[in-house]
Amino acid sequence: MGVPFEALLPYAVCIGMFGFSGATLSKIRAMQNGGKRARHSVDQWDRQMMDRDRRLTGFLRGQTDNVKAPAGFELSNPWRLERGYT
Amino acid sequence: MSARQPRFNQHLLIDTTPLPDSIPKVQEVGSSSAPLLSASYFIGARCKAYNDDYMQCKTEANGKGEMDCLREGRKVTRCAGSVLEDVNKSCLDEFRKHWECLDNNNQQLWQCRKWERPLNSCVFEKLNLEKKIPGVPENETPVHLRKRQIFAHSIMTQ
Repeated sequence: MGVPFEALLPYAVCIGMFGFSGATLSKIRAMQNGGKRARHSVDQWDRQMMDRDRRLTGFLRGQTDNVKAPAGFELSNPWRLERGYT
Repeated sequence: MSARQPRFNQHLLIDTTPLPDSIPKVQEVGSSSAPLLSASYFIGARCKAYNDDYMQCKTEANGKGEMDCLREGRKVTRCAGSVLEDVNKSCLDEFRKHWECLDNNNQQLWQCRKWERPLNSCVFEKLNLEKKIPGVPENETPVHLRKRQIFAHSIMTQ
């Protein structure tokens, strides 16, 4: 008596659909993050470091291990303001 | 009208006035977050004195530390830059693998112990800098020397 594979076909369909959507979402997240896995639980320190990475490399997830910063890096940290009312 | 909390998210101002010439210029460290995290314990091993000086200056300055502690800050920057330069010269491949793994894993050191061990041994041989976690109780192994990392996702990268 063989394995009743027709009964297991719905399970295969469900697992295939979940797998396909999970893989698609993970590929979209990787494309959004420059080929890397997405960051989670990002706190203010991580946001500040990612902003510094963006000032150094131009990408939010870009990394570099140069010793010296590019020219103009000291001046590229902006003051954050709000528009005044007159 | 009563004052409300300011909302500093509407406008950016980039001030391009450079510092006056009376302040010595020092090159800022050019590494981004993952290499810095990877090299952080080695920077701590070599630059502990300068870092402690800077932190003490900032705590004692009571708010004026941004201008008063520039001298200690320059020493910190130069020391960290020297550690990064030495690591780049001697252990570049292990260093790159480690910080690429960290970048892929949300900057969590416990996911990347497999690449951290060769980096630690290479840096210890060539630069004589050892990674020490401060505040470990005497009868426990430090977390980076344990064989099993209980929070790591996969057993391959432990």
